[in-house]
Amino acid sequence: MPLWKLSFAFVAFVCYLAASCEAQKTKDMLLSEKVQQLVDWTSRRSVIRLNGDKFRRYIKSPPRNYSVVVMFTALEPQRQCVVCRHASEEMQILANSWRYSGSFSSRLFFAMVDFDEGPDVFQQLNMNSAPTFMHFPPKGKPRRADTFDLQRNGIMAEQLAKWITDRTEVVLRVFRPPNYSGAVALMLLMTLVGGLLFLRRNNLDFLYNKTGWGIALLCIVFAMTSGQMWNHIRGPPYAHKNPQTGQVAYIHGSSQAQFVAETHIVILLNAAITLGMILLHDAASGMGDASKRKIEVRLTLHDKVQ
Amino acid sequence: MARLGMLRLSHEKQDTLLKLLILSMAAVLSFSTRLFSVLRFESVIHEFDPYFNYRTTRFLTEEGFYKFHNWFDDRAWYPLGRIIGGTIYPGLMVTSALFYHILHFLHVTIEIRNVCVFLAPLFSSFTTILTYHLTKELKDAGAGLVAAVMVAIVPGYISRSVAGSYDNEGIAIFCMLLTYYTWIQAVRTGSLYWSAFCSLAYFYMVSSWGGYVFLINLIPLHVLALMATGRFSHRVYVAYSTLYCLGTVLSMQVAFVGFQPVQSSEHMAALGVFALCQAFAAYSWLRSSLTPALAELLLRSFMWLLLIAGSIAVAILALSGKISPWTGRFYSLLDPSYAKNNIPIIASVSEHQPTTWSSYYFDLQFLVFMFPVGLHYCFSNLSDSRIFIILYGVTSMYFSAVMVRLMLVLAPVMCVLSGVGVSHVLTSYMSNLELGRALSRTRSRRHPDHSYPGKQEVSSAVVLFLSFFLMTYTFHSTWVTSEAYSSPSIVLSARSPDGSRIIFDDFREAYYWLRHNTPQDAKVMSWWDYGYQITAMANRTILVDNNTWNNTHISRVGQAMSSPEEKAYEIMRELDVGYVLVIFGGLTGYSSDDINKFLWMVRIGGSTETGSHIHENDYYTPTGEFRVDRDGSPTLLNCLMYKMCYYRFGQVYTEAKRPPGYDRVRNAEIGNKDFELDVLDEAYTTEHWLVRIYKVKDLENRGHSRT
Repeated sequence: MPLWKLSFAFVAFVCYLAASCEAQKTKDMLLSEKVQQLVDWTSRRSVIRLNGDKFRRYIKSPPRNYSVVVMFTALEPQRQCVVCRHASEEMQILANSWRYSGSFSSRLFFAMVDFDEGPDVFQQLNMNSAPTFMHFPPKGKPRRADTFDLQRNGIMAEQLAKWITDRTEVVLRVFRPPNYSGAVALMLLMTLVGGLLFLRRNNLDFLYNKTGWGIALLCIVFAMTSGQMWNHIRGPPYAHKNPQTGQVAYIHGSSQAQFVAETHIVILLNAAITLGMILLHDAASGMGDASKRKIEVRLTLHDKVQ
Repeated sequence: MARLGMLRLSHEKQDTLLKLLILSMAAVLSFSTRLFSVLRFESVIHEFDPYFNYRTTRFLTEEGFYKFHNWFDDRAWYPLGRIIGGTIYPGLMVTSALFYHILHFLHVTIEIRNVCVFLAPLFSSFTTILTYHLTKELKDAGAGLVAAVMVAIVPGYISRSVAGSYDNEGIAIFCMLLTYYTWIQAVRTGSLYWSAFCSLAYFYMVSSWGGYVFLINLIPLHVLALMATGRFSHRVYVAYSTLYCLGTVLSMQVAFVGFQPVQSSEHMAALGVFALCQAFAAYSWLRSSLTPALAELLLRSFMWLLLIAGSIAVAILALSGKISPWTGRFYSLLDPSYAKNNIPIIASVSEHQPTTWSSYYFDLQFLVFMFPVGLHYCFSNLSDSRIFIILYGVTSMYFSAVMVRLMLVLAPVMCVLSGVGVSHVLTSYMSNLELGRALSRTRSRRHPDHSYPGKQEVSSAVVLFLSFFLMTYTFHSTWVTSEAYSSPSIVLSARSPDGSRIIFDDFREAYYWLRHNTPQDAKVMSWWDYGYQITAMANRTILVDNNTWNNTHISRVGQAMSSPEEKAYEIMRELDVGYVLVIFGGLTGYSSDDINKFLWMVRIGGSTETGSHIHENDYYTPTGEFRVDRDGSPTLLNCLMYKMCYYRFGQVYTEAKRPPGYDRVRNAEIGNKDFELDVLDEAYTTEHWLVRIYKVKDLENRGHSRT
């Protein structure tokens, strides 16, 4: 064989080796570089914002030795996606809990893709609803169970954490920032009541007004019998609008539940009947002068004046 | 000469005769309206919890009180056992045993089961009579009679006191009203006799129900209200001091209550008011012998002393942990959203749900409207006892709104106040009715003319109006009792297409099979719902029962039910299980069967460490549905519960035009049909396939695994 051909082949071979080494090195560098970049972004914001390009580079293309939980959402105001906002808050709480926890590592990252920043990603994944949570494992394609089932589990951070533990074996503790609004409201109420009592400290007779107490207790009774406690605990909607026919239903079909509108109707009916009975009672016992009693009795019975 | 009414009796005698007649009819009515299930089925104990009470009562009558008090039950919660003597309220059992012994002494040999079944209706008759006396104290005998008749049929009370419902509430309401009646008498008279009687009644209440906490907080609240309205007198002082001292000492005699009255926050209000009572009385006594200026100084110094001493004491006790905070069960009544956010178990019990407005109308109907009228009357004519009934009414109103089970506590006070309201309206209008000329002549001389045109017509209209409402109340209450609250749930009935009734007595059939065909020391595994019934009727040792005090043990049973056969066999061998019992409704359409409860078994089973291999998601289809047909999840189709329920079911035709193996509750043809059981042998299946019993196979002779 001519020498030049051999040497050429040899050089080509060396070049190829070198290139593959380079490629290997760049590939390896690429991985540690990727991880470093992700850790950097996480330190700036717990939930990394991605566009289509970054998504493809960091989440779709190998090599990866980390899991990423991605929220696909549409937060722009014109999209009018209220659930997306709630889900985004829960995701933020979860990502913050992870980032500031002692067990933070580069095994798991949180990211989000907004529809307006990365529509091609949505198209590529054939996704047409938001919000969606997907887990991209380090090896292989995401499976059926790697999509978080919102319908069944809701959007609470605790449910997300449980699902992530299921998929990645990473245990997450959800830390919710304490809610001071209750304590502040209570303080406000107490200062108000205290101030009122202090201002009227010379004339506390209004506390001894029997009728006042009577009316207050009657209001409590009406509130309880119309099911206001049930509303307070279960938080039902005001009324229900049938999406297909557009008809508004004010009364719940089953006796196990009720709407707020329904309770208001009931409270009005109860109050009306009770007031009627009380008027009847007062008229009979001779409280108030004769003409008032006449009117009371007639109002109650709708009797004709003769 | 006194005027003679009918039957040539004087008016007083006529009065007494009418009262006696009406009251006895009301008592008989209250007893008889609770007998629907006894007439339709038989005299049998209902539901689940009453079976535990029945078993303990039987033990008490057979073994005596000392053995009962020291009883450690080794036939439940195998292998842990359960201390019964010190963890129940013995009032109910002791009452039944007392009646049983008295009747036997008189040679009326009624079986203990019948005593238990008919105890609640008997006590409801007593409650009727007691309500009469209570309302008579508040207004007059007329109101008392109306209230008595109302409480005889009010559905809110009937729901927990039908014949067969042998539960604590059956006698607790009587004890509660007795305590309130004696308290009102004690406050009215200030005599030691009534106060001591009140303490005894309170002791009876404490021994019968855990709801006594309501009483021990309501009575101090009443004393506080009397102090605030300036009605505190020596009578109230005597009444409350006696009640607190005697009542607390007596209540601590009940083993289950123990030292709680001096250690738990729920009882601290009573202690605080007791101290305040003493301070108040001391101040009043001193003031009478001091000048006004000194008295003012005394008052100020007293108040400051009390405030400082009180806050220091509370702080020390709370911080040192001597006083335990409010337990979750009672705290959730004060802050209703507490249970939902923090203790899901409490929030999930169906009896602990809040009350919708329709439940109020269903259980009380007419009373909901007349209750505020009675309140208004009490407000217009305040007195010590009326203040008490107002407080009782409003607080029980709030608590019944938070928890539907407490509707029971609201029902009597609703009747009392409605009775007052109805009676007042009726008497006023009836006195306007002019019946006969003789009466009108005397009337026109004595009363100035309060009349208005149409007085006669108006009065008769009002009387008819109210009578109509009272009649609809009666019809409604009887209908509700008959349809909604009279099912024994251990015996079911249905109508066949040709109109005749079919009785499903499978539960008792299965329990008696167990009783006659298994060894005495056999252990039976089933879900916890049926525990009490199995121990009471089949007399076999069980693993878990309705007391649900040990979640880990229940979780182990849940793991056994949800695991595949091999794993379940390990768990069953570990727990020495000999027989397994499941409830299956697929053949008859009975929807409260174990497959419908299965997801709870999975959730509870997977909630502890040993059950970490159980994930609820595995039992759903990929689309997230719970299905038993061939699209169902393979984990579900191969778990022990599935196999036990559907063994041999694949060959059964259940409905016309449906393939064999059609489950009538899930409305689907089952997916896994022809399989054999490796670790169980079918022991017994009842007539309608409602209960299925399997025997756990022994270890293989030559050491091979069974599967």
